[in-house]
Amino acid sequence: MTGSAALELRGIRKAYPGIVAVDDVDLTLYAGEIHALVGENGAGKSTLAGIAAGERAADAGTVTAAGTVGLVHQHFELVQRLRVWENVLLGREPRKGMEIDAAAARAHVLDLAQRNGLQIEPDAAVESLPVGVQQRVELLRELDRNPAVLLLDEPTAALAPAEIASFFATIVQLAQRGTAVLIVTHKLQEVIDYATRITVMRHGRVVERMRTGETTVDAIARAMVGGELPVVAQRRPTQPRPCLRVRMPELTLDVNGGEIVGIAGVEGNGQTALVDVIAGLANAEGIVEIDAGDRPNLGIIPQDRQTEALVMTWPVVDNVILGRQSILRHGATIDRARAIADAQQIEKQYDVRAASLKTPIRALSGGNQQKVVVGRALIDDPALIVAYNPTRGIDVGAAALVQSRLIEARNRGAAVLLVSFELDEIFALADRILVMYRGGIVGEIDARDDGARAEVGRLMAGAR
Amino acid sequence: MRRWLTGPVGAMVLVLALMSLAMIVAGTSPVDGFRALIVGALGGRNEIGETLVATSALLFPSLGVALAFRAGLFNIGAEGQLLIGALLAGAAGAQMHNAPWIAIVTMLVLGAIGGGVWGAIAGFMRARFGASEIISTLMLNFVAADFALALVNGPLKGPLATGAETAWLVPQYWMPTLLPQTRLSIGILIAIAIAIVLQWVLSRTVFGFELRACGDAPEAARRSGINIGRLTWIALSLSGAIAGVGGATIVAGELHRFNTQLSPGYGFTAIAVALVGDLQPLWICVAAFGFGILESGGLAMQAAAQVPKDAIHVIEGLIILVLAARRYVATRAEGTV
Repeated sequence: MTGSAALELRGIRKAYPGIVAVDDVDLTLYAGEIHALVGENGAGKSTLAGIAAGERAADAGTVTAAGTVGLVHQHFELVQRLRVWENVLLGREPRKGMEIDAAAARAHVLDLAQRNGLQIEPDAAVESLPVGVQQRVELLRELDRNPAVLLLDEPTAALAPAEIASFFATIVQLAQRGTAVLIVTHKLQEVIDYATRITVMRHGRVVERMRTGETTVDAIARAMVGGELPVVAQRRPTQPRPCLRVRMPELTLDVNGGEIVGIAGVEGNGQTALVDVIAGLANAEGIVEIDAGDRPNLGIIPQDRQTEALVMTWPVVDNVILGRQSILRHGATIDRARAIADAQQIEKQYDVRAASLKTPIRALSGGNQQKVVVGRALIDDPALIVAYNPTRGIDVGAAALVQSRLIEARNRGAAVLLVSFELDEIFALADRILVMYRGGIVGEIDARDDGARAEVGRLMAGAR
Repeated sequence: MRRWLTGPVGAMVLVLALMSLAMIVAGTSPVDGFRALIVGALGGRNEIGETLVATSALLFPSLGVALAFRAGLFNIGAEGQLLIGALLAGAAGAQMHNAPWIAIVTMLVLGAIGGGVWGAIAGFMRARFGASEIISTLMLNFVAADFALALVNGPLKGPLATGAETAWLVPQYWMPTLLPQTRLSIGILIAIAIAIVLQWVLSRTVFGFELRACGDAPEAARRSGINIGRLTWIALSLSGAIAGVGGATIVAGELHRFNTQLSPGYGFTAIAVALVGDLQPLWICVAAFGFGILESGGLAMQAAAQVPKDAIHVIEGLIILVLAARRYVATRAEGTV
């Protein structure tokens, strides 16, 4: 099944100010294999993939490739306003005199898509397409260069279960035709299901190399963490009392104090709009009521910590103030002493690793940044907590800590609305699960039922 | 290290380096050039007075520009805001018959209102319709200049005036002189007081905090519940008001009448001053003094060292370009780590 070496990395090293991202890594990919590169966030996987693809230069080491190397990014790099074929051929458009030969380009893209078993509509505008289809466009763009090696950075992060299966069908087919495929991922079940070999990275180094037949999800996870897996806090019985009530034409939602309601769904099915309406950031037809009792109304953990939650150039302390100005107000000024005390409390309770609370928050790792975001949302003990992908892109230890704090808040009587694209997370935390599809709630599932997972997957894909 | 490079000290070193370069290009040794500049700007009581007059005239619009900048808004219209403030102060001052201190305070307040309204127009257009404040503040400069010209050539023209100017203020309405036998009025003290208050507002108050959040991370600010539209027009109004008070101090303190030629472009130079001062009010005071030296010593430098006075404006332009680019590069480089 596997052939000659398609890509050889030898002694790769890459340092950024203050951190060695990749440290003396060797990795060989063979033609026809699907190789999984796993590790916690910040382990150096994406940096290594970027070096392998020639997008960034290594400080030391050699990269030898038997042909073109294509990289599909986690965050798609498509021109949203252009059509599908324009994106696939961007920079390589066939010409007729001074003009682009649109007919030839369309035919070429259609042919390319058919040969690879990928369904697309070449004239559709990319911005109108669901995420799964946008990914096909991104993949086609790389395939058009006929790569010997294909690197995929978190390719299934935004896909529904059904889309994931069809995506891997394509990838397996590619490998069978001799392409070497490297998948950077944190979804370990997919690794077991589709990869042949596994390379585990931790702190920039390769710590283990495994074969899928000889290992388990737990073993891979322990290798990633470098020890035992962290334990998440236990749920305790609570007294439910109504807290959040949403009545919109296509959506009815109630969340009680003392429960975690999980909203499952594929990205782009109206979750962002729902969160914005509850947060009071967008208007909508209907009613949103929060009965907070004597607690503050709302704590929000936004989806994108870097642009939506934090001011990256500001110190940790100032970020702990953001959104809490009315609570920390002291006349016209901000009660700095209390803000510092709050920041210290978060630092302690969440094990935030920062050189100092005056350090700009961009100098912290993603996991530590997220701890600050979560700590800030929970510190005033709000009646309702809206957590939107609260553990996205952070390491296992930080994720377990964030999840534990959410469960503890629930145990203290807070209503928690968990919106997540990770089914594992929803099943780990939620008392009740609602599935969101095309802007509406299409079903409610008890997490303890047999076959709950399959049912949620079905509903996420639009089945009724 | 990077902080030092992007900070005010690095900026001032850069200014001096650019000037030295201009002098070398003009065929003069920088030593002679700077000596001429310093003597021309600080060589005597009158020279010091004129330097501080220019410092004061620059400081007001610079603080205004910096305030808007910190909120993420590019106020290119300080010149127009200053002019409208001066116009209102001059028009009212020429008509009043009150006690002197009432007249002076009224002129300053009217200056703030005039500049504030001029800034608020751009702020409202940005908040309500999303119109770029860069374009609207720039355009409002022309509106202000022509509006003032029309008024002082018509209804507001002083009975004895030969040019486009209002009647003179009666001497009781002149702002007290700070440095005897010079034109320097207590306006500069008002400017410094505003700088101190502004520094406090930005670093300590809830308003300043929210303003900086809007400037540094607008999306995070919006999601934290800050009303960005409201803050936008308040910031541009305040920015204009500070420039407008500056215009009023020129009328009440130095010129003693409104004249359409009263600003040789203070509102534009203010952008360079604000950037060199790293958008920090207290550093901007230092930067304004530096630019005041350039403004008042420039002629002497031209005479002694054959560096054309216009070279100073070239340098100012270069400073804006380099500092803007450097800020961009610095934030980008830091963002990738």
